[in-house]
Amino acid sequence: MGGNKLSAEDVRRLYDQHGPALVAYARGFVTDAAAAEDAVHQVFLRLLSAEIAMPDAPVAYVYRAVRNGALNARRSGLRLVELDPQSSVFQHRGGNQEAALALEKTLAELPEEQREVVVMRVWSGLTLAEIAAAVGAPLNTVASRYRYALEKLRGKLQPWERNENGVMKNGK
Amino acid sequence: MENNDKKFEEYLGEFEPRKPRALPELIVHRKVWPRRLAAAAAIAISLGASLSFVRRKNESKSGEIAARNSKSVLEAKSPARPLALLPLTQLALQDPEQLDAQLTAASLRVLPDFRGSDSTLRVLAKE
Repeated sequence: MGGNKLSAEDVRRLYDQHGPALVAYARGFVTDAAAAEDAVHQVFLRLLSAEIAMPDAPVAYVYRAVRNGALNARRSGLRLVELDPQSSVFQHRGGNQEAALALEKTLAELPEEQREVVVMRVWSGLTLAEIAAAVGAPLNTVASRYRYALEKLRGKLQPWERNENGVMKNGK
Repeated sequence: MENNDKKFEEYLGEFEPRKPRALPELIVHRKVWPRRLAAAAAIAISLGASLSFVRRKNESKSGEIAARNSKSVLEAKSPARPLALLPLTQLALQDPEQLDAQLTAASLRVLPDFRGSDSTLRVLAKE
């Protein structure tokens, strides 16, 4: 903890920049999108109400805090529910909601340490070095986790991936 | 392999996490309430100060009026009429020295004069 305080504008900017990825991250711990969003909101509301001094690495901090909040929500007894296309945290630019659901499901199945690396890298735009600092792991370890995660995701999402001619690999 | 990873990363980039609902306007309150509190305190202090100033002014005015009233009461009274007790009591409470001065002045008018050639004392002495 650095003891500095982010201004409300800084907190908002952080939320705009990383909020969507954080919800996707939290979604891996809880079973519905609303609970994931609540976990993210709670963290940012605490930041806004200045209940906590601002850490030196805000992005790393919010990921930790969201993880803890989401785990608490899960412990408090949320039931497992089927993925619903309407409540999916991802949307596909091409409108392929089936693929978006598959991505969400696969992400949720990844080991936590792999999931956080993928989300931070792909949807929060952090470098592997930044992620290593955030999660407190060596850079090589983080790079390996990322590679394993991509392999698993590729395996699951292959049917929706397009080949070089722009045709989906499942022929659709 | 790295090229494949790059392509797959790009593919993952086609998916966007949905924007979560906006944060409530809590921040506005957090930033504004100390200012509001300070403004309220400033208003309360200035109001209190002006009230106490007005009150003090009124008190000193009423003191002066009471003193003037008692003076005029004493001066207006004919020697035969008894002194008015109420203004004198008021004066005794507010300014005992002034009361002494008032009573001395009144005594010259109310009590028989012993200094003149035809004073009561001299007349009685001749008899």
